[in-house]
Amino acid sequence: MKDLSTMKALILVGGFGTRLRPLTLSFPKPLVDFANKPMILHQIEALKAIGVTEVVLAINYQPEVMLNFLKDFETKLGIKITCSQETEPLGTAGPLALARDKLADKSGEPFFVLNSDVISEYPLKEMIAFHKSHGGEASIMVTKINAGIYLLNPSVLDRIELKPTSIEKEIFPKIALAGQLFAMVLPGFWMDIGQPKDYISGLRLYLDSLRKKTPSKLASGAHIMGNVLVDENAKIGDGCLIGPDVAIGPGCVVESGVRLSRCTIMRGVRIKKHACISSSIIGWHSTVGQWARVENMTILGEDVHVCDEIYSNGGVVLPHKEIKASILKPEIVM
Amino acid sequence: MGMTSMDERAVAVIMVGGPTKGTRFRPLSLNIPKPLFPLAGQPMVHHPIFACKRIPNLAQIYLVGFYEEREFALYVSSISNELKVPVRYLKEDKPHGSAGGLYNFRDLIMEDNPVLTFTFSFSNLISHIFLLNCDVCCSFPLPAMLEAHKRYGGMGTILVIKVSPESADQFGELIADPSTNELLHYTEKPETFVSDRINCGVYVFTPEIFTAIQGVSTQRKDRANLRRQSSFEALQSATRSLPADFVRLDQDILSPLAGKKQLYTYETMDFWEQIKTPGRKTKPASNAAINPCSRLHRMSLKCSGLYLYQFRYTSPDLLTNGDGTKSATIIGDVYIHPSAKVHPTAKYDKHLAILVSKFAQIGPNVSVSANARIGAGVRLINCIILDGVEIKENAVVIHSIVGWKCSIGRWSRVQAEGDHNAKLGVTILGEAVNVEDEVVVINCIVLPNKTLNVSVQQEIIL
Repeated sequence: MKDLSTMKALILVGGFGTRLRPLTLSFPKPLVDFANKPMILHQIEALKAIGVTEVVLAINYQPEVMLNFLKDFETKLGIKITCSQETEPLGTAGPLALARDKLADKSGEPFFVLNSDVISEYPLKEMIAFHKSHGGEASIMVTKINAGIYLLNPSVLDRIELKPTSIEKEIFPKIALAGQLFAMVLPGFWMDIGQPKDYISGLRLYLDSLRKKTPSKLASGAHIMGNVLVDENAKIGDGCLIGPDVAIGPGCVVESGVRLSRCTIMRGVRIKKHACISSSIIGWHSTVGQWARVENMTILGEDVHVCDEIYSNGGVVLPHKEIKASILKPEIVM
Repeated sequence: MGMTSMDERAVAVIMVGGPTKGTRFRPLSLNIPKPLFPLAGQPMVHHPIFACKRIPNLAQIYLVGFYEEREFALYVSSISNELKVPVRYLKEDKPHGSAGGLYNFRDLIMEDNPVLTFTFSFSNLISHIFLLNCDVCCSFPLPAMLEAHKRYGGMGTILVIKVSPESADQFGELIADPSTNELLHYTEKPETFVSDRINCGVYVFTPEIFTAIQGVSTQRKDRANLRRQSSFEALQSATRSLPADFVRLDQDILSPLAGKKQLYTYETMDFWEQIKTPGRKTKPASNAAINPCSRLHRMSLKCSGLYLYQFRYTSPDLLTNGDGTKSATIIGDVYIHPSAKVHPTAKYDKHLAILVSKFAQIGPNVSVSANARIGAGVRLINCIILDGVEIKENAVVIHSIVGWKCSIGRWSRVQAEGDHNAKLGVTILGEAVNVEDEVVVINCIVLPNKTLNVSVQQEIIL
């Protein structure tokens, strides 16, 4: 690696993010917040940190929304972000062929391929060293399974046709046969956060990791228990008990006597007094009424209003709904 | 006091039943006789007793039942002092039926009252006997019944109420003459619809009632003698094999005497509920799945609310003031025992720039018994909190009965749907149940001395 400044990366953003509905009914999945920032920013920041200069998003819907949103970050982070839009789903390898011109330049530098559903400590620097050390065509990061993080030489692109193809099932086996595929065990945590249950566990792992690396980013105080991330523009009342494993986004108001554990409170949410929330995701600009109880994988979409004293046990609520009656058993509220 | 009023002296007899049929009041009947269970913060039997206090020239109140005397001793002595009317518990040696039970104690009931012996001897005779069932919840309009009874000039007057035709068959249905109010026809729990007017289980009688009961008893004895000659007849009818001193009021007195210008009706326009599960007649399609214990407790909770509402008119001083300046925000009718402690904290939160109320919010329909402790930020709705309960900060209790000395943890939630068709429509915590912090208990019956450290729903916990 003579010059890291020309490195590129492709992020497989994919489709509708149906597994993360109702959150993905309001925003494309990469823009859904995780630990107070859009999922894809975790990846873009990690790539930028090791010197990647251009990120290609392989996307098959709403590229305008993505690009509009990411425009700000392009300048802020000083990284070029482009989209490569599939007109039909191309699997996990096809998008590489589609973005071939962006990924393969004269430098011959390897490029990263990341799955947007995956959250980890992104040990990309170590991966480059690993790739360099074995000298093969492709490196894959593994946990117990394929971790969805690859570092590939441009020559891999010659193996891929522009048609729906699986990189894992069709391309890697060939590279392996040629003795050119090397696996690196991923240090630290890893989680596919493409569905709510894993999203919630993923936050725990992420905050654990943050505790070890940059504990100053975590909240502290008598009302905080375990690892809690609170945006500087969130307000928290007195008599609350918050944590463990909670993220509270910007503009949130948490009134007095509230209990929060293992949950994500997204931007602009209001939690009224004495409410109790655990193991749940509260979508953007929602409200949870006083003495309400929200738990057991309750997922509130954007702008949902849970009335006072209501109990939600695993309610999955689509955007813009008002919940006036308790949800006693997990169910979907259309 | 004029001579006429002294001529008319009344006694009241309140039938309290016995422990044998109390299984449906478990788990709470494991600790207390049902008639002493608090509704609106007062023992169930307190409400008819308190109503009797309004009867003019009331000499004595008797409670008749099969509970052990010691179970009522403390209550009877304290209520006698409080009301300044002698209250006495009479234990039946065996079930006699409601009329038989009354008759069994006729000598006591009719005897001279020692408290009033200073009056003229001829005026000490009892002129009216009120008979009330303890498991009835109503406004007990006894003075108005007495007035009506005197106008009618019959032997007895029955309190009646109009109910929905669908529910009438669980009770005694009756037909009364619309102009004279005479009882024309009476059928206990009829197979086919007779009337939407039903017997409320509250009566006023003249002493001739004893003659009528004696008549039924004598008839029984005669039949029993006849039966020795005809065993075939004995096999034919189970009714006739009842013991001579077992006399039911409804089938043996009201039905035969209907239409004979002896019994009259007084219709109440107020509330009326029965605090027991319907016995043999339930509608299988709609009610089969409802747990009978839950049903009875739900009735208790409802009746507690009705009595709280009635306090507005009868005892407004018992209702907690709702201005929120003392210690809690009060919504609707709420009773809080003076010894209960409701945590008072409220302060202005600079950070949130709003007045943060850490008041508990209580009501509607909540009664909190002696020595209960209600923490800051607690929410109570439609519930009965018994003696010595502790409810910690930010906990929520809805549609529930919380037994003696229970502990409800911080941010925990004890709730039921409050839906009349739900299998377990009210959550009941037996004595000394401990619900740990943040645990949710929904639609459950929990037996005494259990600790709940995980959330439960739709369960009976042994």
